[in-house]
Amino acid sequence: MSEKNLAVEIKDLVVEYRTDTGVVQALNHFELELEKGKTLGLVGETGAGKTTAGLSMLRLIPDPPGVIVGGSIKVDGEEYLTKTEKEMEHIRGKKVSMIFQDPMTALNPVFTVEDQIAESIALHEKVSKKEAIAKAGDMLEAVGIPRARGKEYPHQFSGGMKQRVVIAIALACSPSILIADEPTTALDVTIQAQVLEMMKDLKKKYETSLLLITHDLGVVAEICDDVSVIYAGTVIEHGSLEDVFNHPRHPYTEGLFNSLPDLDNPTAKLKPIKGLMPDPSNLPKGCAFCPRCEYAMPICETEKPGKSFRNEEHYVRCHLYENGDAKEGRIGKI
Amino acid sequence: MLKYVIKRIIALIPVILGVTLVVFLIMQLAPGDPARMILGEMATPEEVAQLRTEMGLDQPVLVRYINYMLDFCRGDLGDSYFKHRPVLDEILDRFPYTVRLAAVAAVLTVVMSIPIGILAAVKQNTIFDNASLVVTLFGISMPVFWLGLLLIILFSLKLGWFPTGGAEGWRSYVLPAFCLAFSNMSTVARTTRSSMLETIRQDYVRTAAAKGVPHRTVIARHAFRNALIPTITVIGIQMSQLLGGSVVVETVFAWPGVGRLMIDSINSRDTPMVLGCIILLTIVFSVLNLIIDLCYGFVDPRIKASQS
Repeated sequence: MSEKNLAVEIKDLVVEYRTDTGVVQALNHFELELEKGKTLGLVGETGAGKTTAGLSMLRLIPDPPGVIVGGSIKVDGEEYLTKTEKEMEHIRGKKVSMIFQDPMTALNPVFTVEDQIAESIALHEKVSKKEAIAKAGDMLEAVGIPRARGKEYPHQFSGGMKQRVVIAIALACSPSILIADEPTTALDVTIQAQVLEMMKDLKKKYETSLLLITHDLGVVAEICDDVSVIYAGTVIEHGSLEDVFNHPRHPYTEGLFNSLPDLDNPTAKLKPIKGLMPDPSNLPKGCAFCPRCEYAMPICETEKPGKSFRNEEHYVRCHLYENGDAKEGRIGKI
Repeated sequence: MLKYVIKRIIALIPVILGVTLVVFLIMQLAPGDPARMILGEMATPEEVAQLRTEMGLDQPVLVRYINYMLDFCRGDLGDSYFKHRPVLDEILDRFPYTVRLAAVAAVLTVVMSIPIGILAAVKQNTIFDNASLVVTLFGISMPVFWLGLLLIILFSLKLGWFPTGGAEGWRSYVLPAFCLAFSNMSTVARTTRSSMLETIRQDYVRTAAAKGVPHRTVIARHAFRNALIPTITVIGIQMSQLLGGSVVVETVFAWPGVGRLMIDSINSRDTPMVLGCIILLTIVFSVLNLIIDLCYGFVDPRIKASQS
């Protein structure tokens, strides 16, 4: 473990949204490890806590109602949960940046595009306003938008172009960590591929570690090195892309893959995962996936499963493997 | 943009034509005869009839309207029936008082309402927010004349700090301006609060925070500018009302503005004076509306695009 060069290490993170109608458990002892220069895919369905995980790294969870109850978020060995708001302001956009899901609403309609990029440069680097604007122009060119269009407003851009601008803002100060929250979900499929390709290139160019939040396994296969699967606020399986894609161990991960259309057998019916995510304000006592799991055993209802390792990195949280048979795998065999 | 302004000013012509025609007809339908009111109860019908002829009141309405508009085009608004001087002179004497009071009230309104609105939104559901809601509820629901009377009783009669009425010296501005500003400020503060509440939850505000922009700057620069449109609309409407002369406040504080002039003229059936005031009101409303629309363009580039 110690030889790993971690950019981000999140341990035991608990985040709750406290409202008058109840407490929503958004993250339950969430953990995450992002190695320097690598890309980690955080995969899960809507409401699993993916965006909350991203926002909590920047300490931008809307408060109220969001509360970080406990745990630890370390970036390059520095604990973020104990930092002051002032210190976090210097981190946001400089060390850790975030790309948001919907480019249509992520840009401020009343400022020019170059102003919005230059704002973050002017904040974090000791440059004049003019130099900041010039660098904003460079960033626009880096994401494939002509410099001259920087004087325009967001409403004059198409969706794909807006997402490029959002990416330019996020990368403006060459952050060492980039969180991309469903960066391609709101885009056309044709534009998706372009944007992904561009992100890959830029990531290489700026030597950024990337946390890619998505529900799209295709996107994960495209650019990720490692994958964490999140369910109801807990990572239930983690491993390298190969491990998770070729040797899925958790019944939920298996379910995700079964929900994809099979190109070799186009007439086969999709096998969706039955049921819905549990109500996050009233999670089951045991394994959160238990009510939907085909392999559920009595113990699943009462006890939360611990980690079972398949190899040094690949682990799964499931009672099926507590006898040390994570290597062979049991799903699909019972 | 110049083209847009010119287009809007040209559009003012039919508006003035329509408004004056309607007012002309209404004054015609209203009971009471100006000639009779000038001469008094004791005058004989012959005397009244003669005066009617002199004043041209015996001609058909449409002819009188056309004559009036022809004079209007030459800059002549006619003479007042009772004040024995040109309507335009009287209005130009009174209007500056109304403008000055309106300006003071507007500044007070903006200075009080916008900080309150922003703070109430940022600190939603705190004591400050709730207190501001209670105060502004008072401001909106309290009748202006009553507030005016209370202010006079306390500050003029009991404490003797400010005069009870008139328009002499800065002291005489304080009570009427505050009276106008208090209810206006309440509306503006509430509008600002609710539109701020909407914008501070927008994605682009989160984007700004994620860039590392300090919280205050996020609120002042990113959220507030986007929340401005409804606020500007309300302030604009209020400004038109203030410039048209606030009838109630001008009456309570014996302020020599156009609001009181208009009410007095309506009561005495002084048609030329009423028409003059109404035309002034129409122009004030239209010009302010144009200014507000242009302000939208400065605040929001999407609106500017549609104006050019």
